[in-house]
Amino acid sequence: MSFRRLWILMRREALATLRDPFTISILVAVPLMALLLFSSIMSTDVKGLPLGVLDLSDGPTSRRILRELAVSGSFVPTRWSSRAAIESALRSGDLGAAIVVPPDLERGRAARGEAAPVPQIEMLYDGGEAVLAANAEAYLKSLVLAAVARATDAETSVVVVHPGPPGPATIGASGPATSADGTLSASGTGRGPTPAAGAVAPPRSRGGAAGGIRVVPRALFNPTLDGRPFMVAGTFGFVLSFAATLIIAVSVVNERFAGTFEQLQVTPATSIEILLGKVLPIGAVFSVDVVLMMLVAGMLYGVWPSGSAIFFVVLSVFYMVISLSLGMLISATSATAAEAVSKTVLLSTPLIQLSGFAFPVRNMSTPFRWVAELIPATHYIRMSRAIYLRGEGPIALLPELAVIAAMGLALGALALRAIGRRA
Amino acid sequence: MTGLRRSISNVLAVAYKETALLRHDKTLAQNVFMQPVIMLLVFGYALSFRPVNVPWAVLDRSESSASRALVAEIRASGYFEPPLRVEGYGEARRLLREGKVTAVLVVPSELRRRMERGRPEVQLLLDGTDPMTAARISGYVTQIASRVGLRADPGLRGRGETSPAPRAGPEPGIDLRQSFRFNPTLRDLDFYLSAMAGFLLTNLCLSAAALSLVAEKENGTYEQLLAQPTRPLEVVVGKLLPNVAVSYLSLGLATIGSGLFYGFWPRGNMLLLLLATLPFVLATLSIGAFVSTLARTSAQAIFIAVFFIMPSFVLSGSMLPYELMPHGVREFGGLFPLRWFQVAARRIIVRGSSLGEVAVPILVLVAIFLVLLAAIRRMMKPRLG
Repeated sequence: MSFRRLWILMRREALATLRDPFTISILVAVPLMALLLFSSIMSTDVKGLPLGVLDLSDGPTSRRILRELAVSGSFVPTRWSSRAAIESALRSGDLGAAIVVPPDLERGRAARGEAAPVPQIEMLYDGGEAVLAANAEAYLKSLVLAAVARATDAETSVVVVHPGPPGPATIGASGPATSADGTLSASGTGRGPTPAAGAVAPPRSRGGAAGGIRVVPRALFNPTLDGRPFMVAGTFGFVLSFAATLIIAVSVVNERFAGTFEQLQVTPATSIEILLGKVLPIGAVFSVDVVLMMLVAGMLYGVWPSGSAIFFVVLSVFYMVISLSLGMLISATSATAAEAVSKTVLLSTPLIQLSGFAFPVRNMSTPFRWVAELIPATHYIRMSRAIYLRGEGPIALLPELAVIAAMGLALGALALRAIGRRA
Repeated sequence: MTGLRRSISNVLAVAYKETALLRHDKTLAQNVFMQPVIMLLVFGYALSFRPVNVPWAVLDRSESSASRALVAEIRASGYFEPPLRVEGYGEARRLLREGKVTAVLVVPSELRRRMERGRPEVQLLLDGTDPMTAARISGYVTQIASRVGLRADPGLRGRGETSPAPRAGPEPGIDLRQSFRFNPTLRDLDFYLSAMAGFLLTNLCLSAAALSLVAEKENGTYEQLLAQPTRPLEVVVGKLLPNVAVSYLSLGLATIGSGLFYGFWPRGNMLLLLLATLPFVLATLSIGAFVSTLARTSAQAIFIAVFFIMPSFVLSGSMLPYELMPHGVREFGGLFPLRWFQVAARRIIVRGSSLGEVAVPILVLVAIFLVLLAAIRRMMKPRLG
């Protein structure tokens, strides 16, 4: 390997890249666009979901429930006159969820014997939007429970003098926990935000108050369960895998199309020099991109790596070389640009769906978990999240680093063989 | 009238030529047959936000029957792996940091005493790295614990036996009943299979159309095309038509595949789905053609197309509900045809909606198609230099 030849090849590549405004703009625009668009899409909140209300009771309790739902911001309640209208609005997608308050809500409470059936509030969700419905379920349930509890509480404090022991009030964060008949009630536990309620989505932790053992959830590393750090750390994986692979694949296919790649192959330059001559200049640009993305994410969203930033950059550069080798491999084995497209498009689907970018690998069925482990991006994204969110250092990540290094060596060797083969 | 007839005959002539070319295209089989198979497998078995095999640990300082009952109930739910035992907070944090566990249940030593007084409490430490998973695990454990407490608490035993069944939210004064319409068990499978057609057609149409005109430019036949008596728009439409047929073939394969493999057949009218697909396919193909007029080389066309595909998957609401995205991003997603198609397709496939309920998305798709046609026409005006 001659460093002079390598230097000349790198200079050639850098000049070719710099004089093409299209490539330059792609190199800068794609990472930033990806960061801006992807960072905010993952959310566990529910905001402004249209909620249909069929209030058959129209009493103080139901009005209280509706008022509290309206101020929560999670739902936008609208009144409907019949169940059929609600069902059809759910079908057309105008409503994401609905709540039906029974006519006996007030009556049931006022004159409830042990044998009387408990009034039933019904909640309907649009299961067609499965992810949204699952998020909405927890919110709606806990909001309604809390509102009912407060309504009950407000009234009983007027009508009934609490006969229960005063003891629990001193332990609990909020008020009496036993109601008149000695059962656990939501009245005390559901009232007001408990100290830990801010930890996880607030309504969820209040919902935990409903039953026997109360669960106080506390999320480490990301106390507000913000989706941004998760997606920012994943976006590095997306840019470095996808954009890097594609840019180099297309650049080589273009050279083959123009016939300049064959010319390179017949010069004294060895395969490894050709590989490095291509990979290093483009790699340098992407290294700048990584730093740029870190700065933008930090300044715009306040998402900085909680681990070592230098370790993260080093890891990213190393991973980028792997992606670029994969790009060389794709381009060296495709005869036309069209073939390179369909290969990258075929590869891109599993890349974004199996790498854990959005869907946790652990949730997949076993064969797909194996496939996911074979994708270098899976390991890189896992590590970047460990560094960004949990502040993990290189020693704990050694097994992952070893896996990715082995993949890098294998891909590099394959790319070298492909370049050496003369068409 | 003769003008229209001539236009149609021109379009058909170009379409015939393109079909002949397409028949010899090696990548066609790959696009039409491989992709649906890969997607059927991935969408059916890999995409889910429902946590399973959750690794977790227990820090049990009470060692009481109640804490053992809680752990047993959590295990019985099927979402969790057998728990690790930890002795202190330090170890718990370390396991969470290393990603070995996703949640740690901390049972305080005074659980039993608190239960007698009626305010039992346990703590759940969660790895907040993946917010979706953390929130859902928290929800599961909360629900399970609310049931366990009721049964294990000695003060409640009498009442617990008389009450018919453990309800999700045992309230003294009120009962909640929840139901999920159109997808009673809230399977993620239904959500993703109903989005599959959109993914498939976006891939297929964009990669086919993006290269359509650029290839002619690179071969030097673009000027010849423009010099022909056919109008530029007729050429474009003619080139796109065979791809419409291919798209329908692909849609058919995907629909039949998800029906046969997963028993997931469209609930609504199949003809309505075919109707809604037409403007979407046309709009997506014209985006490809528009890209093709912009790009100078096929490499550029590939780039633009691919970087159009990715955000349209993510921002359309096919993978994550767009209702949860912040304003700005949400509206931006509305520029992608896939957004409107996934809305229409999910309504027809999952909810069995009628024409009136999907009219808006279909009309938007038609509008996008017409705007793009105008743009393509502008771009293809023969120019010198």
